[in-house]
Amino acid sequence: MPNKSFAVSVAAPHAEGEPSVMSRTHHRAPERRRPRPLRRVAAQLQTGTVLAVFVVFFVLPVLWLVLAATKTDQQLVHDNPLSFGSFHALKANWDALTSFQDDAVMQWLGNSALYAVISLVITLGVAIPAGYALAMTEFRGRHTLLVATLVVMLMPNATLVVPLFLEINAVHLIGTMWSIILPYSFYPFGVYLTYIYFTTAVPKDLLAAARMDGCSEFRVFWHIALPLATPVIALVGFFSFVANWTNYFLPYVMLPESSQMPIQVGVGTLLSNVPSFNPTVGDLAIQRPQLALATLVAITPVLIVFLFAQRFLVSGMLAGATKE
Amino acid sequence: MAFVAAYVVLLVAFGVLPTAYAVYFAFTDAGGKVTGFANFVSTAHDFRFLDAVSHVAVYLLFWLLSLVVFVVALALLLHRLASGSASKALRFLYYIPGALAGAASVLVWLFMLDPTVSPVRSLLGVLGFHTFGEVIAPGNLPLLFTIIAFWTGAGGWIVVMYGALNNIPTDVMEAARIDGAGAWQTAWHVQIPMLRKWIVYMVILAFAGGAQLFVEPQLLSLASVGVAGRDYSLNQLTYDFAFQMNNINGAAAVSVELLVVSVSAAAVFVARSGFFDAE
Amino acid sequence: MTVNKPSSGRERASSKSRAALLAGCAAAAALTLTACGGGTTGTTTKDGFAQVPQKDGALTVWVDATRMDAVKLYQKLHPEVKLNIVSYDGDANGSNYLQTKVQLFNRTHKGWPDVVFSSQNNEASWAVDAGFAAPLNKGLVDEATLGKFASGANDVCTVNGTVYCLRNDLSQAVLWYNAPLLKKFGYQVPTTWEEYQQLGEKVAKEHPGYLVGDAGDSFTPEIYLWASKCGANHITGPKSVSVNTSSEACTKMAKLMDVLIKNKSMSISGVFSTDFGKNQADKVLLMPGPAWYGGALFEGTFKTPAKQIAAAPIPQWKGETSPSTGNVGGGTWLLSQHSEHIKAATDFLKWVTTDNAYQGKKAPGFPAYAPAAEVWLKGQNSSGYFASDLNALKAASSQVWPGWGSGQFSQEAIWAATVKPALTQGKSVASMLPAWQDSIVKYAKSNGYKVSQ
Repeated sequence: MPNKSFAVSVAAPHAEGEPSVMSRTHHRAPERRRPRPLRRVAAQLQTGTVLAVFVVFFVLPVLWLVLAATKTDQQLVHDNPLSFGSFHALKANWDALTSFQDDAVMQWLGNSALYAVISLVITLGVAIPAGYALAMTEFRGRHTLLVATLVVMLMPNATLVVPLFLEINAVHLIGTMWSIILPYSFYPFGVYLTYIYFTTAVPKDLLAAARMDGCSEFRVFWHIALPLATPVIALVGFFSFVANWTNYFLPYVMLPESSQMPIQVGVGTLLSNVPSFNPTVGDLAIQRPQLALATLVAITPVLIVFLFAQRFLVSGMLAGATKE
Repeated sequence: MAFVAAYVVLLVAFGVLPTAYAVYFAFTDAGGKVTGFANFVSTAHDFRFLDAVSHVAVYLLFWLLSLVVFVVALALLLHRLASGSASKALRFLYYIPGALAGAASVLVWLFMLDPTVSPVRSLLGVLGFHTFGEVIAPGNLPLLFTIIAFWTGAGGWIVVMYGALNNIPTDVMEAARIDGAGAWQTAWHVQIPMLRKWIVYMVILAFAGGAQLFVEPQLLSLASVGVAGRDYSLNQLTYDFAFQMNNINGAAAVSVELLVVSVSAAAVFVARSGFFDAE
Repeated sequence: MTVNKPSSGRERASSKSRAALLAGCAAAAALTLTACGGGTTGTTTKDGFAQVPQKDGALTVWVDATRMDAVKLYQKLHPEVKLNIVSYDGDANGSNYLQTKVQLFNRTHKGWPDVVFSSQNNEASWAVDAGFAAPLNKGLVDEATLGKFASGANDVCTVNGTVYCLRNDLSQAVLWYNAPLLKKFGYQVPTTWEEYQQLGEKVAKEHPGYLVGDAGDSFTPEIYLWASKCGANHITGPKSVSVNTSSEACTKMAKLMDVLIKNKSMSISGVFSTDFGKNQADKVLLMPGPAWYGGALFEGTFKTPAKQIAAAPIPQWKGETSPSTGNVGGGTWLLSQHSEHIKAATDFLKWVTTDNAYQGKKAPGFPAYAPAAEVWLKGQNSSGYFASDLNALKAASSQVWPGWGSGQFSQEAIWAATVKPALTQGKSVASMLPAWQDSIVKYAKSNGYKVSQ
């Protein structure tokens, strides 16, 4: 593990008078020092204020969206933006939304779940081992693979649509859900995340030790690397899920039947039925609060998955794993 | 290597081949005949091209600066928070907009930026904006797009950086503290250097993402019914060329230009940071 | 076992990557083969185009959410017909879905829908070249039927004399007004643009805050300038256009608008903007606008109470001998040349554009097919919402000025990006006419049009 030495004079005494030499090689949890109350509180207050300002920045629009779903269209325009509408209006919006094209919203959600979960499984099965191998093993073409992955990630995808369509057509998968799931499963961003994680958080000598003990490469991966990789597996899994859940353009182009649409494309359809964006819609118009409700429904699964993944995302500590 | 076999298949099928095909498009015409740089020249002469280039350049500046500075700063601040559950809650709150990608956030921004109905209309009023039209004036667009992109994109990177910060062994942090380093010094001399690879990754992707600016102007164009954000960025032009004017070759040419710029920038970052070293 | 990778591992590694490479090459080969494409064999030339061998099977129909009613009704009335109904965004909001998909289908040589509805009027500008839209007046649809469409309605579908799509509905512009309010203020409905301007000036003086029009929408030119016969969008051929925004017709109307914008009797917030909805919706005295304003705008969005809104013919310039009006939108139905169910497709096409069961009784917009429009008008007149009958719509339906076409480039988008921001900044319409012309010319050229000015 690269240990960036920190060049500061050793002269500054530790609060409790412990000799510096000992604590540098200590692996125990840091001892509680007597807090310097005022300084510490002030620092936490400063930190808290900055963080709070950003909370407002990130959350205010979402709060608006939640409240918008409880209003009627007239209320949305005339009332205070952050006022609560009414449960009655919320129910009316929900009913209007679910009756759109015979309960299309539920079907869209189901489609999204199907595509996202299946490709999540495939992505993890492909990206984690690949990132591991790129980081922790030597093989011919490792460098090429890294470069190719990066280049491909940086390619704008307007022009990739046509070749992709032709490819999927060549293997007769147009119209099936695999036309979405297979491209989704190609997740170079996740491969790189795994690669960086393994190169920065897992010491090579750890694995070298295991290999020296006679483990096959697969066992090293399965029994040693993988358990240490829980945070990055959760990270890649989560981001892959979100990327697939919110992908608009690929399903828009690939899927021929409206019954196959995922929720993101569905919300786009709803948008084109809102009179202020498309005035000629007539009676079947979707009102803006209903669009807000649909948006909330579309993002809820993502947020639930995030809450679930958070537990694993940040554990990362390698306590006592190696001897320096 | 068995570990990478499946990935290589997918990489070739969905990465390399389509990219190669797109490059092929860039150098040929609609009939498949090789035309050298003709597509590049003809698209550069489009009346929107130069403006799009300058728009993207300005945006990139705003975007890279704000993303790197604020994401790293917020991740560090979150890490400093004494309460673990507060930190967890904040990371969640910061992330929520990240779920609102694309069309989903059109409605949000339409209302947020319209002084008539916005929750922040007092702020907009203080800045001198009284109508939606004033808010989306051309001079404000780079900042607006940066704000929108940051709003959706920062949360995810904060989570990544926070996790990376957790990977710094406590004994290193402890050593720094014992040596008397304050918060800023620890951050600058210990934590950020150890986050180097993650930050480089973020910068590479942010650069490419910024160069390929598409979602934010498209969103604003939809919200403002075409007043602002239409044909604003190069990537929007590629979609126009490809799907409106049936000029896939021109679209490919511009895409290749964007790719070259992004890859060159990435190469610089990679070379200077030892990104590919499996330490 | 040494720390270094054993050589056998190396070979295994390279053979695995070779396998992967082979898989990749196979995909590449498949790709090139598909791209080369096959030829068209076995087609019969009939009804003016090469028809593929016909089969039995489900008819694939693409509609937007609003037209879903039409297809469902057809299915109900014709249970024996097999339909595969696909809902899409109708190409609304600048989405290029239909064109994008057709281009992809053209490369894979399959997948085209049989009948498709588009909310745009300009599909013929690319669908003919793309070999998608089938000619309809060369045998598929009889002259009698075609003749009963409102005059000029199918012009947007016509390329070199061949009709390639059928118009679904018209959006002819009329003068909407608030009858009780007008009476209360003691005004008369203007019949000329001169009277309209005078009324606007009176309103600004006597009842400031009340509106006689709106110049803030992206479709504003299609109401005012089109009605005034401004030559900003004269499509002269499949890929040629003549643009002149400085003719007298244009400048006259621009000056009128500027006077009213200046005295604030004409708004510059779009009718669907939050600003209008919040502050101006209940102050509408007059509002020139398309047929669908009645339902979608006044009834649906502003929630104006019943028995207030009425329609009168749009004003004309004094001394005008051939009255003209503008048009904002509509929609078209296309039939695919590649259809394997041409008879079924044509039956559906004819039904959905002409039959009273849908167009007369259920359509949200003014039908382009005149007989169905009669039935539709009767229904609207007896709905009880409007303060007058809507017969002004009938007269206007044949007065849409044919000198403004529907090209590949969007006039609405150009106005929105070029003129509207200037209006917001306080510039006048008249001063923006040259910039507007410049913008139209640039977009037209960029889309491959030959431009004459």
